[in-house]
Amino acid sequence: MIELKLTVNGREERVSIEPAETLLDVLRNRLHLTGTKDGCREGECGACTVLLDGKPIDACIYAAQAANGRRIETIEGLSGEQLGSVQRRIVEASGVQCGYCTPGIVMTLTALLREHPRPDRQLVRAALSGNLCRCTGYTQIVDAALAAAGDEARVES
Amino acid sequence: MSVIGSSSIRTDSNARIRGEECYAIDYCEPGMLHGAILRSPVAAGSITRLDVAAARRMPGVRAVATASDAPEVLAGWVLLDTPLFARGQVRYAGEPVAAVAADTIEQARAALDAIVLEIAVTPAVVDLRTARSSGSPLVHPDWRTYLSPAGLDFQRDGNIASQLLSVQGDVDGAFAGASLVVADEFESGRQYQGYLEPKSAVGIWRDGRYQVHTGHQYPFNVRDRIAQFLQVSPSSVRVICHAAGGGFGGRLDYGLEPYAVLLSRLAQGRPVKIVNSRTEDIETSGSRDNSLITIRSALDAAGNIVARELLVDLDNGAYTGEMALMPSVSLLIAAGAYRVGAARVTCRLLYTNTPPTGAFRGVSGVAMYTAVERHMDHIASELGEDRRGFRLRHLFRSGDALLNGQVLDDADILRAGFEAMEKTAPWAAVSGRTKPYRGIGIAAAVWITNATPASVTIKLNEDGTVGVLTGASDIGTGAFTMGVTQIVAEVLGIRPEDVRLSQPDTDVASYDIGSQGSRTTRMVGGAAQNAALEVRSRILHTAGQLLQAQPEELELVGGRVRKAGDTGPGIALSDVALANTWGDGPIIGTGRYADKPVAYNPECAKGLVFSTFPTPTYHVHLAEVEVDPVTGNVRVVRYVVVQEVGRMINPAGVVGQIQGGVSQGIGFTLYESLRLEQGQVVEKTLEAYRLPLALDLPDVEIVIMEHPSADGPHGAKGVAEPPIVLVPAVIGNAIADAIGKAINKTPITPEDVLAALREAQA
Repeated sequence: MIELKLTVNGREERVSIEPAETLLDVLRNRLHLTGTKDGCREGECGACTVLLDGKPIDACIYAAQAANGRRIETIEGLSGEQLGSVQRRIVEASGVQCGYCTPGIVMTLTALLREHPRPDRQLVRAALSGNLCRCTGYTQIVDAALAAAGDEARVES
Repeated sequence: MSVIGSSSIRTDSNARIRGEECYAIDYCEPGMLHGAILRSPVAAGSITRLDVAAARRMPGVRAVATASDAPEVLAGWVLLDTPLFARGQVRYAGEPVAAVAADTIEQARAALDAIVLEIAVTPAVVDLRTARSSGSPLVHPDWRTYLSPAGLDFQRDGNIASQLLSVQGDVDGAFAGASLVVADEFESGRQYQGYLEPKSAVGIWRDGRYQVHTGHQYPFNVRDRIAQFLQVSPSSVRVICHAAGGGFGGRLDYGLEPYAVLLSRLAQGRPVKIVNSRTEDIETSGSRDNSLITIRSALDAAGNIVARELLVDLDNGAYTGEMALMPSVSLLIAAGAYRVGAARVTCRLLYTNTPPTGAFRGVSGVAMYTAVERHMDHIASELGEDRRGFRLRHLFRSGDALLNGQVLDDADILRAGFEAMEKTAPWAAVSGRTKPYRGIGIAAAVWITNATPASVTIKLNEDGTVGVLTGASDIGTGAFTMGVTQIVAEVLGIRPEDVRLSQPDTDVASYDIGSQGSRTTRMVGGAAQNAALEVRSRILHTAGQLLQAQPEELELVGGRVRKAGDTGPGIALSDVALANTWGDGPIIGTGRYADKPVAYNPECAKGLVFSTFPTPTYHVHLAEVEVDPVTGNVRVVRYVVVQEVGRMINPAGVVGQIQGGVSQGIGFTLYESLRLEQGQVVEKTLEAYRLPLALDLPDVEIVIMEHPSADGPHGAKGVAEPPIVLVPAVIGNAIADAIGKAINKTPITPEDVLAALREAQA
């Protein structure tokens, strides 16, 4: 077993893991953060997207050991008493159907809006190209992302 | 204020957006073991050795199951032809041969490796062309002994698992006397449902019963399949559902559930969880069937279609799920939305040594409409006639009948659909563009609202909210968490968020045929409306006593009961509920809903086992594409849907279904290739099996037409299935328009486009 120290959603976690475990295994099976979804285990669907030091990654193909000492944000970390703007706008826009892709998409869009507070439609679609959604055809999610960007702009001005 | 027609948010969206939803794959039980399945590596053969002794001795192994641990029976949804584990013969690559439960998944997989499996390979029926050839081996030499549990007459014969034969009018005479005969052949591939949550199940043997936790569209089907496989009564099985990460038809029949419960019994009741790897899911989940379709039409001197002949061959794979019903559907679509005169329709469902196929949104309709509507373009071009005008000339009118004899009283909606399309995308303007490698396509369809009846129970909670009990599930469509919820809220004057839904549990809820065929909002909604009306009448009875008023003087508004026209507070539903709880007894209501049977002509065909299109809806689609002549890539630059939906209960939900359905259609047309080579699936991962990305898809332009049906809740009709059925047809027509050459297959890959361009230039 290997000892690992991670900061997950602002909280320091120490876990003992097998060498081959992925970050997804650690989050879901050892820390019981099941909001991060297991979709393909091949880094294609993006349902397991989390932020590692602020950057979106596929937790299912990320070696847990490589996350040692680093800062991880998951959907649970964004879900306080109040929903964040990205989450609220996705709900309002009916961007949730089966919801299995939703946590990963929220993480991707959160990272996008931090880096590009006023994205255009094409940039949102490009950012989402690592997250598969089989239900919605993406349109309502893209609408939500742009609305969330508008919210942030209003807060700043 | 009415909640019908408002885009209220789905009641489970808060849990989903926060990552709190418990999907089936998230569900765990104390003391749970992990299961894995050994599958046949070859398409056909005889098992000469299966030795699990070493596997049983492996560390952590608690149970090993093979065919000898299960009753020697065949099971199936509509035809009893499927064993739980291969017994003697394997019939497809991926067929379960054995299963293991162990303390950890790594131990279970290690034990699979220790199973000795030897198979003497036999000649495989690898595709439809082989299956229908005269010298083909039989996939099921014992086919004559198979029974249909419902006693349905499928017209089986050797490799033909189900067949429909229909001749109406003087077809041969019409072809003999035709001024023009136009013929086409179409080939369509398989499509994987691609729901994002892989299949899973937690099975438990407890108190002499099988219990299973799963995410499913049709939990009672799982119950009945386990009962068949393990030879117990249906009520000895309990299926408890959790949220499902998509379905699209892929979760209508059993998956891993029977294996999980059998392993649990063999492991003395320890719960066993099995989760598909994505590759297992792609290989074995019952994808949309591939097909070969030959279509020809006879035209008279005036350019009218006077006869149609259609030969459809559908791939069943090695075992039959619900596919045996599908040949019937070909008759209902053979004419498309048009008058075609005399008709001969032959549709065969053929066994092959390939993974069994199954339901996917728009079952049979996608390939059939592709053939019919691509063929319409071909005929128009042979006549030198405008494609839209040719369609309008043949378009059904109200009072015309489908080939099953079913009269379409409201088919003039199709013409209104073309007019609505003309307002959004005027044909002369969009087809007049001269830009090279740009093309457009247009097509029309009639589609079904599955009319299997439903029942619902509603209880009034002591806080004035209501609980809804049903066997129906919401696999993501919102049919339940928006549609049925709003219908109940409307009757009782409460907010949608005060309607509490529970996941289906076959011990608790009454039978429901599940989330399929766009039926939930209408059929389950109709039953829920009736149940809510009973609850309402009981509320009014009690409230009348409390308010000293006649029940008919009262109204339900904002969670309260008051005299109609009164501005006072009246009394809260919670007070009414409490008065009943400690008085006459808690308030409960039950409701059922069934549509009136649709009249049709039972003599129209042999083998007709799926006979009508109840509550039909009408559709016109248009696409504009741009072809890159260097790479062969096709981009859909514009996609317009005109859809008739009866009455929109939730507009945002309707739009989401249409955008999503079209997107799956674009995926099937341009990106999603699920090929088989010698019975082996070629695209085994999501890297190889390419689902459409956000960058691949247009924002679909959507025009809704509302023609509420005379019955059903608020006149609602089916919405979710039909958006997919025309997509390969209109995009295929647009590509042919763009490059001047038809490509009569689906998917249309860049390689196909480049080959067609080379041919067109040669």
